[in-house]
Formats: sequence, C-alpha cells, structure tokens
Amino acid sequence: MKYLLMIYGPDDWSETSTPEQEAAEMEAHDAFAAYLQGRGAAFSGEALHPSNTATTLRPSENGDGFMVTDGPFVELKENLGGFYIIEAADLDDAIEVAKHCPNDHGIEIRPVLEFDS
Amino acid sequence: MKGQVEVAVAEAHEREWSRVVGTFVRSTRDLDLAEDAAQDAFVSAIDAWARDGIPASPVAWLITAARRKAIDRQRRETNPLRKLPLLIVPGDDDVLPPDEIPDEHLRLIFTCCHPALAIKVRVALTLRLVCGLETATIARLFVVPLPTMAARITRAKKKSAISGIAYRVPEAHELPKRLPAVFSVVYLLFTAGHTAPSGDRLVQPELTRWALDLASIMAQFMPEEPEVLGLFGLLRLSDARREARVDSKGHLVLVERQDRLRWDHAAIQEGIVAVESSLVRTRGRLPGRYAPQAAIEAVHSEALGYEETDWQQLLCLYNLLREVAPSPIVEMNRAVIVSKLSGPDAGLAILDDLTDWDAGKHYYLFAAARADLLRRLGRVAEANAEYRRALALTDNGIEQGFLPERIGETDMAGA
Repeated sequence: MKYLLMIYGPDDWSETSTPEQEAAEMEAHDAFAAYLQGRGAAFSGEALHPSNTATTLRPSENGDGFMVTDGPFVELKENLGGFYIIEAADLDDAIEVAKHCPNDHGIEIRPVLEFDS
Repeated sequence: MKGQVEVAVAEAHEREWSRVVGTFVRSTRDLDLAEDAAQDAFVSAIDAWARDGIPASPVAWLITAARRKAIDRQRRETNPLRKLPLLIVPGDDDVLPPDEIPDEHLRLIFTCCHPALAIKVRVALTLRLVCGLETATIARLFVVPLPTMAARITRAKKKSAISGIAYRVPEAHELPKRLPAVFSVVYLLFTAGHTAPSGDRLVQPELTRWALDLASIMAQFMPEEPEVLGLFGLLRLSDARREARVDSKGHLVLVERQDRLRWDHAAIQEGIVAVESSLVRTRGRLPGRYAPQAAIEAVHSEALGYEETDWQQLLCLYNLLREVAPSPIVEMNRAVIVSKLSGPDAGLAILDDLTDWDAGKHYYLFAAARADLLRRLGRVAEANAEYRRALALTDNGIEQGFLPERIGETDMAGA
C-alpha cells in the first residue's frame, strides 16, 4: 500500500534556525532517504516553502469562477512543511517507516487511494 | 429437526460467533466483510444443517462457509477499494511462541485493540467483533444513542480497511500499550452480563463468567501488572452479590435491601485478596481505575448491614477514583455517598451540578438517584416524576422492577 507522510512544523523554522541546524536537518533527511532506499520500494518526497507563501483557490460563492486568497487553506500553528510518499505492507509497517523520518512536531500518515490500473 | 437445527445454530452463534469472525480478524483487513461473511454463514447454516444434518464440528463448518461467503462477496463487489488484496496473513498462526497469550479469545481481543483507532472506538469494535455483543448493547454500555454507536463502529471498520490496519496478534512488547483497551473490553463485557441492558433477565451469567475467566487468565499471564488484579477483584466482588440482586419475583434488589447471607463469601474473600495485593503493588503511586472501584465494592462487601457501611472510607475511595478516572458516573455515585454523610441536599447539589452531562439526561440510574434524594428531602411530587422518567429510560424488565414500587410510594405520599 502507498502512504503519504505529512511532516508538520512551525512556519518560521527557516527564519529562526541556524546554519548548523539546517545542515543537521538535511543530513537527517538524507539518512531517511538512504533508509527508504535500503527497503527497496519506490518512494518520493519534497520539502515545501512556508505556508505564508501559499495561495488558495476556492470556487466563488456565486458559482461563476474562482476566488484567489493569499494564505494556506487552513491557518494552523504548525503547517505542512514537506512530505514523502512511501510503500508499506500495512499501517503498522507505515508507522515503523515514519518512526525513521525526521520528526520534531508530528507526522500525519494517510493511506493513498489507489485505483485498479 | 427444524427446531433442533435452530437451537444448534443459536448455540453456535452464542458460543462460536467470535471464533468465526476472529478467523477473519486475523486474515483480512476488511472487518465489514468479516462480519457480513460470518453473518451469511450462520444464516446459510439453518438450511444446510436441516438438509444435511448438523455437522460434527459446527465451528469448522461455519468457518469454511464464512470463507466461501467472503470470496463470493468480494467477487460481487463493485467498489474498487474493497477489491484490494485482502488476505495478508502469513501462515504461521498455528505456531505459538512460548510468551503467547494463553487463550484464543484473549488473543483476539488483544489483536482487535489496535492503537491506530481511538481507544473508545477500539473497545466498541472489539466488543462487537470479538465478543459478539449487539451494537445496541454496546451503545447502552457507553451511554450513547444507538445511531452514534453504529456510526462509530462503521467508521472504525472503514478506517481499518482503507488505512490498512493489519489485525495480527501483537508481540509481547506491544501488549502493555494495548492493556487499557483490553481492560475496558473485559470490564464492559462483564457489565453487559451483570446488568443485561434489555430483556427479562438482569444477569447473563455466560457473559459475566466469560469476563471473569478472561480477567483470571490475564492475572495468571501478567501477574506483575497491578491493574489486572484490580480488575479481577472488581469483577469477583461484583459477581459475588449476584444471587442476592434479584428477589423471588425476579425484581432487582438494591444493595441496601439485599440479603447479605446470600452473598458468595468465598468469592468476596478471593476478591478482597486480589484488591489488596493490587494496592500493595501500586503503593506510592496512583493506582489505575479498577483497584479503587474494587476497593469500593470490598467496603460494601465487608459491611455487616447497609447502615453499618463505612461511608467515610467510601468517600475517600470515591475521591481517589475521581482523581484517577474522573467521570460523571463517578460523580453520580459520589453524590449518593455524600448524601449519607452530609444529607440529601448536599448529594442533590452534586447531581444538579452535572448539567453538562448530556448522556445523563437519558440515563435511568441518574434519574433514579435524583428521585431518591428528592424523596428523602420530602419533595415527593418531583421524586415521583423522576421515578417515572427513570422507568421510561430502561428496557430491562428487572431493572424496571423496583421503580413501580417507588412510584407507588411517592404517589400515595403525594396524594
């Protein structure tokens, strides 16, 4: 099964962190990528710019177009900062994988909806 | 023959439901399918056994039939989600490591109590799937409306299937985290049997006995765990009063009027020993929720008569219980104890503070407790109305038993 690991954290991390902290973070993610490679199954992942760079597009209320707003879909104290898509046998296995992922504030594990071919 | 077959199917349902579903719990992610297939198997047994005779091993027949029904259902399934590969079981289920939980049902309960579901949801799902309780019964145990419980169980099964929760027997190091849910399951199973939530029997001894067996197996399997002893003590002490809880007419007899000679004093001793060793082991730390409840039962059991009950000690224990496991039900019982020590108005004040407890508005014991305090305060008309409300709120014929008498008393006094 495919799972999405959503890594949450405070938006201002990149502004408040020291170069040493950033290097350590990179190293941790490299180690996680190596761990995933070791498992053998395909995976992918990206890091995101903070949520104050987000733009949200919603259907407009009168139904004739879209409304563009400045900011994330939901304002939270901690926001999505990056994600991985991984392959796991079941939820227990996915939780085991997520335990290896750098995690300072919390990771949400979501099953990916897969369709027959 | 037909009658015989129906009896055989009903007996198999009572005894083997959890084993038939349980086979699936170990071999599928789709609990909905497991339950539906088990249901199909029992239904088909009625005709098949009438035609071919009752099989030598009904449970083996039912498991095979349920597997076939599951495959049929999967073939018919049009929802792509439910066509996902379902069978995930490695075939090593029969080889049990030496630290394996020594009872099949207990193993299934631990397996079903998966931590990816919220604890309330886990417990409800296990009571439904492994213990075979009706959804309506589980709703009453949780004091929530039936549609709420039905939706909760449906969501749990859906999440299990979609998010890929694998129901496999947990390893020894995973057991401690699952204990609180397992304790709740055993406790609620006992409660379901101790006060059957509907029907003409107050007690379903097969359920209370099952829960007691499970608690006793756990106490032997994990003797270093003080909460297990607390739970076992609680169940043993509650069960010791069973004979005295119903009078010759089949009416519920409250503790205050029970014939204490009919209590099972050997069971009481056994319960008290368990509670004491549980409390000794937690000395210096806060106990769990079961040991204080068991100690409360022990205080009741040790009193020579209702009036001789050590209310002061009970209040201390309720205060402790309230600290480790606060709940409106604990407050409700504490109100009764406070009323013994400080008068009915003090008790009533506690009950009337529980205004936020929505479920209490539909809980017959809450109405009955309020009615009692109002009666003792001489507010007879209000008491009468509360007794009537309590009567309307329970479906158990025997629980209803003592209420008409109280309504009668307050009717006369009010006239």
